[in-house]
Amino acid sequence: MKSHRLILPALLALAIGAGSARAAGELNLFGWSEYIPQSVLDGFTKETGIKVNFETYASNEELLSKLVAGGGSYDLVQPSDYAAEVMIRQNLLSPLDPRLLPNLKNIAPEFRHRPHDPAGRYTVPYMSGTVGIVVNTEKVKTPVHSYSDVFTPAFKDRIVVLNDTREIVTWALYTLKLPINTINAESLAQARPVVANWVKLVKVFDSDSPKTALLNGDVDVGVVWSGEAAILWKENKKFQYFIPTEGAHQFIDVLAIPANAKNKEAAHKLIDYILRPEVSVLISEAFPYTNPNQAARKLLTPEQLANPASYPPGSPKLETFRDIGKAAADVDRLVTDLKSAR
Amino acid sequence: MSPAAKAGAALPGLIDRRTPRWRAWLLLLPMVTWLVLFVVAPTAILLVYSFCERDEVGRVLFTFTLDNYRRVFDPVYLWIFARSIYYAGLTTVICIVAGYPVAYCIGRAREEWRQRLLLLVMVPFWTSFLIRTYAWITILKQEGLLNGFLRLFSPGTAGLDLLYTPTAVVIGLVYAYLPFMILPIYGSVEKLDGALIEAAYDLGAGPLRVFSSVIIPLTLPGVAAGTLLVFVPAVGMFAITDLMGGARVPLIGNVIQNQFMQARDWPFGAALGAVFMGLFAATYWVMLRLGAQEEDSVA
Amino acid sequence: MNPMVDLRGVTKRFGAFTAVNDVTLPIASGEFLTLLGPSGCGKTTLLRLMAGFDTPTEGSVWIGGEDVTHRPPYRRPVNQVFQSYALFPHLTVMENVGFGLRMQRVGAAEAAERVHEALALVSLTGLDARRPHQLSGGQRQRVALARALVCRPKVLLLDEPLSALDAKLRRSMQLELKRLQRQLGITFVFVTHDQEEALTMSDRIAIVNAGRIEQLGTAHEIYHRPATRFAADFVGQANLLEARLLLQDADTVQVSVTGGLELSLPLAAWPAGATTALLAMRPEKVHVSRARAPADFPAAATNIFEARIEEEIFQGATDHLVLVTAAGTRLAVVVANESAYGEIFHAGDRVFCALHADDLVVVRAE
Repeated sequence: MKSHRLILPALLALAIGAGSARAAGELNLFGWSEYIPQSVLDGFTKETGIKVNFETYASNEELLSKLVAGGGSYDLVQPSDYAAEVMIRQNLLSPLDPRLLPNLKNIAPEFRHRPHDPAGRYTVPYMSGTVGIVVNTEKVKTPVHSYSDVFTPAFKDRIVVLNDTREIVTWALYTLKLPINTINAESLAQARPVVANWVKLVKVFDSDSPKTALLNGDVDVGVVWSGEAAILWKENKKFQYFIPTEGAHQFIDVLAIPANAKNKEAAHKLIDYILRPEVSVLISEAFPYTNPNQAARKLLTPEQLANPASYPPGSPKLETFRDIGKAAADVDRLVTDLKSAR
Repeated sequence: MSPAAKAGAALPGLIDRRTPRWRAWLLLLPMVTWLVLFVVAPTAILLVYSFCERDEVGRVLFTFTLDNYRRVFDPVYLWIFARSIYYAGLTTVICIVAGYPVAYCIGRAREEWRQRLLLLVMVPFWTSFLIRTYAWITILKQEGLLNGFLRLFSPGTAGLDLLYTPTAVVIGLVYAYLPFMILPIYGSVEKLDGALIEAAYDLGAGPLRVFSSVIIPLTLPGVAAGTLLVFVPAVGMFAITDLMGGARVPLIGNVIQNQFMQARDWPFGAALGAVFMGLFAATYWVMLRLGAQEEDSVA
Repeated sequence: MNPMVDLRGVTKRFGAFTAVNDVTLPIASGEFLTLLGPSGCGKTTLLRLMAGFDTPTEGSVWIGGEDVTHRPPYRRPVNQVFQSYALFPHLTVMENVGFGLRMQRVGAAEAAERVHEALALVSLTGLDARRPHQLSGGQRQRVALARALVCRPKVLLLDEPLSALDAKLRRSMQLELKRLQRQLGITFVFVTHDQEEALTMSDRIAIVNAGRIEQLGTAHEIYHRPATRFAADFVGQANLLEARLLLQDADTVQVSVTGGLELSLPLAAWPAGATTALLAMRPEKVHVSRARAPADFPAAATNIFEARIEEEIFQGATDHLVLVTAAGTRLAVVVANESAYGEIFHAGDRVFCALHADDLVVVRAE
């Protein structure tokens, strides 16, 4: 998800615009760049004859601003959990018809009815991931299982973290045992000294490709997207992934139908097609996130299942983000201030 | 003859004189359209947004508030402004020091060599900016080309820790903007009348004094243009600080980008942008005034 | 006395091109010497060799009795006035003129005094604070002159300094330059392609052609006794006549020139042993009259012949005639319109011509 944020695709998507003409049997899909294999869409078209017009975005913010502005008419979108929550609240999504989605039964129960869509009326999980610790075990011999293990003077200038102010503040709140989705002046005041110490230790802030600094050997530990960690692990088993013991951010990217969609029937068909185990497994092969489709998981190779970044062992404490509204500005100011002060 | 016809008969002189003015406006139309579309309209939108508010989704609400400007003058952001200006200033100075000799040599080179040398200055532009920046990452990283090269001469050294440091940011900025310094200086060097240099020699100036009292002052316009072309975009640069500086030290460009991409706070981003723009307009205006005053004092 | 400037066997090549070819040229102290020639003849290169902007490929350059061949321009006691004036656009008149003194680290008070002196010398006062672009062409010319003179050079080099001025201003500047040179006693080396300018100002003229000096002499010598076809042709007008020897006696020779006209000239002027030669004759040397032997015909005129006026062009002070002699030789002739009551010539008139034998000059053909 966020790891795919690149400036170029975003600009391209903006430049191309959204106003393509639609005939019957066409579907306008607006999804993350590098998240849906083309083979899946080709298979769908071959089977149903429905042509898929695929446009991509690089951030939830881009998707939101497009839908909020009423630009484009899309039949299927792919927001992350908190963005879906905002869209539901703003009546931007159309309720799903469960009768058209027989394969919905394949989704593991723990991925349904999450806070962003408690009734499960609007969204179907697509892929999920976490933000956790990745360690180069060749360089680091001590156990690093928690945020406080990462942010120690021993790792000064050997750390990469996401360049994302909300993420950084969330980790601090976890170590303080404070709620991560209720952010106020008081909790920020407590988080402040923690974050202040941390940013001094970090060598690289990178949301787009945090794996680069690890692969290049410029840093030894990181707090990164699980997708990035999974790719690192596939590259070299020395990169181990751990869900921080204090708790971790889990994101669930979902499929949803905008309220103004013109071809809801085709959208339901594509959702159900993606829910098929043999299709879902193609996505897992291309993008090693956590697949919420339990039927598809049975088709994965042992190697794929053993990837700790895709399928972390144990039952860690995971929470999704809720929209924090205007508190986001305070979070942003806090981290900017502390980074600036180093 | 009707009065109207009379009036018409009396008017030709006037009309003749006015037609060219209309035609002149017509000729200007493409430029005016361009200015309105790409300069006036975006600036107006920026200014309007900077007085608005955002709602929880990040939509811009068209209300009137000065809060965004109040936030801009928060010391946190003022410090970032100051730091951005410092980085851009340092970049500009290095670009002048490194670019001037290059521009001078190209400008004084033989005619047939000049075009080839200029081409070399432009060659980097044939590749995408991002690719060139990643190339620098490959050079500067700990296991990169530069350290590999250093280890050839003194094996076993730890090597330089350059990537993700402020030094790397300045290297990246200098690399990105050096051609914008070289080209205008080249322009003024090429225009430099060789007879003036000979005259200075003739009047007893050695090579150093010829350079300091004739060549430098006469190529100053090129240096000024280069400074403007380097300094202004360098202040707002964000990609290099992210990629080569590891986003450790936020510059104003990063803060603004953040408001539009991550924080979904367009009005605040717009206010930062507006202040940024105002700052440059003011600097430019002051520079113009100083130039004009000098001219006046001469006359 | 040693010459002030001395070029000794100087050759300058640029790649395969020889700009200056084995030139030896001594210039006396206090002399006004003009290098005259068409563009590309090498006269500017000669000046640049003296200034030090170019170094000779062969030979040596001496100034004030010292070998300066390899001395850079800023260590030579010469200053130059450039064709484009080369005034520093970023400096005021005052600063331009004071530039050389500043380079020589002359004290501010003395420098200011000398600058004002120099500006007064070229009659340019009250414009101290102006920049070059605020001056007229003539004013810039004076600033350039003052800037060079203020350094009190032993030699002043002037590279076509008047070519950018209009005709009237040029004439008055010519006289002023000459006056200045006499007043200051500085050696002037003046480059021009304008023969009239050269004749007006110079003590001596060096005719430069194809990298060589064709003739070196006073204005009178150059004009009246051109040494080569080029010198005769480039300075003023000349009738160039191919002459064939007919008769030779004790002190004269009889020749037949192009077209068949027969003329006589002193034996001393004729190259010994030659059967043919090239003669140059200035158009105003021929005296024209309708009368066979009018009173004003020079007694010594040894050549008298008949001709018909083929063309007549009235030019105010002078009348330009094209004559065809009975034998068929065409001559360009200029006669002065001395008096409104004098003879008036028309095309078709038959006239008698008189020409002094000494006014026929044998020139080298190459």
